[in-house]
Amino acid sequence: MKRLFLDAREMEHPQPLERAITLLRELGDENYLYMIHYRNPIPLITLAKRQNFTLLAHEQSERLWHILICKNKEINLNRLLDTNIGLE
Amino acid sequence: MFQQNGLSLDQAPPISLIFRFFFIASLFGIFSGLIMLYYGEDIFDSSSVAHIILIHTLTLGVMASFMLGALFQMLPVIAGVVLDAPTRRSWWVQIPFALGVIVLLFAFGFSTRLLYTLSTLLLGVSLLSAIGMMLMRLWKVSYHSASSRGMMIALVSFCLTILLALYLTATMSGYIDGEYYSQVKRLHYHFGLFGWITLLIFSISFQVIEMFYVTPAYPKALSKYFTPLLFGWLLLLMPLIFFASSVSRIADIVLWFMMMGFAIVTLYRLSQRKRPLADATIWFWRLGLVSLVVSMLLMILYIFVPWHAIAPLYSITFASFALSVVFAMFYKIVPFLTWFHLNAQGYYTAPMMHEVIHPRTAKKHFWIHIYLIMTLFLSVFEPVLLYVAGVLTLLSFSWVMYQIIHAHLLYKKTQATGEKFEIS
Repeated sequence: MKRLFLDAREMEHPQPLERAITLLRELGDENYLYMIHYRNPIPLITLAKRQNFTLLAHEQSERLWHILICKNKEINLNRLLDTNIGLE
Repeated sequence: MFQQNGLSLDQAPPISLIFRFFFIASLFGIFSGLIMLYYGEDIFDSSSVAHIILIHTLTLGVMASFMLGALFQMLPVIAGVVLDAPTRRSWWVQIPFALGVIVLLFAFGFSTRLLYTLSTLLLGVSLLSAIGMMLMRLWKVSYHSASSRGMMIALVSFCLTILLALYLTATMSGYIDGEYYSQVKRLHYHFGLFGWITLLIFSISFQVIEMFYVTPAYPKALSKYFTPLLFGWLLLLMPLIFFASSVSRIADIVLWFMMMGFAIVTLYRLSQRKRPLADATIWFWRLGLVSLVVSMLLMILYIFVPWHAIAPLYSITFASFALSVVFAMFYKIVPFLTWFHLNAQGYYTAPMMHEVIHPRTAKKHFWIHIYLIMTLFLSVFEPVLLYVAGVLTLLSFSWVMYQIIHAHLLYKKTQATGEKFEIS
């Protein structure tokens, strides 16, 4: 699975959402979006749910969220979660 | 539009509701320009009808409309509050509210009991029901952020402002003798200007400054305790104003220093932005916060040097604070809402945010606004400039109104002709 990575922690609102929507349009069966953000990007999650994506939102710490979104329903996103990302 | 736990777009009200509030605000803004042109320098005399009409056009007609519209939008997204049937509810607020403001302005002008009674009923029912509904839902929220807690406090202050106004209108229409008229009037101004307008702006700052401008977060102690402390101080002022007027002046000075402190912290946060580019909204914020500091300094100065020109100057700078921040928020909210609602509905051809309101358009408005504030400031010393300020006010709010109409038409056009996508 190819990871499309987006670090939105230092982006001005609403750039994270704009960039994420662009990446969602590129998703196929062999790739997924991996986004890190300092808060839970609920508008993106709402939009992704409406479009029937599979998603995972994981709060690792107070200001570190991992958001994984894919099109392929068979993928277990928990296995793709990497809690080392964002700690550097 | 905000990203917070508990937020859901499905809970957010329709975009037309927000646009209607903003449209009403811009209409009253245009009206405030006409008031300036009609009454001229009488607006600077705090005991005149012209002054009271202008103040209420700006605070109720303009500010309350913008702020209620923003609250209808933000409560679901900042606090996760679900407003049932927001469209129907908003009509029940918007129509009697707009009518109530108009009738109140006529009541000030003609001073008749019937008009005061009617405006009190219309404004009391519409505003208290809206505030009550918002407060009840906020009360049930299990986790409060600094912003949602501050919003609650600001709404309680607004409620107190209205209740105090009932005493004032009852006095002005002759129902009661108004023994405590001057004290209640002072409290009405305090809770309206500092408890409602300022506290709401501060509460929203906790959320938007960091998010919109990528600044470090506010110090935790400040975001946790500042708004309750400010409100507590306002409550402390209540008995002091009635029973120890001279001590209340000292409490006022402390209050104004607290507000200055917050403005300076926010200006410092804005200077710590991680991205160097500055759009018009940042300049609106900076102008607003500097205006607040100047206004507070002038209020303090006026206690020690009661020179007649200082009072209009602190009023003008305070208006500059509130309006500048409202415009900063307006230029963030309208393009984002238009773009996001269309995207959420799946319109592939949704206009980009800069196509809804181009950053250059916002910058042009910033220049109109700053010329307006400067002209208004100078007109205290050279009254003929007030007519220029009146025209600039007309231009400023017409500019805002045009942006709302443009965004609305673009939204409708995309819905009518746009292509939908299924990204999954």
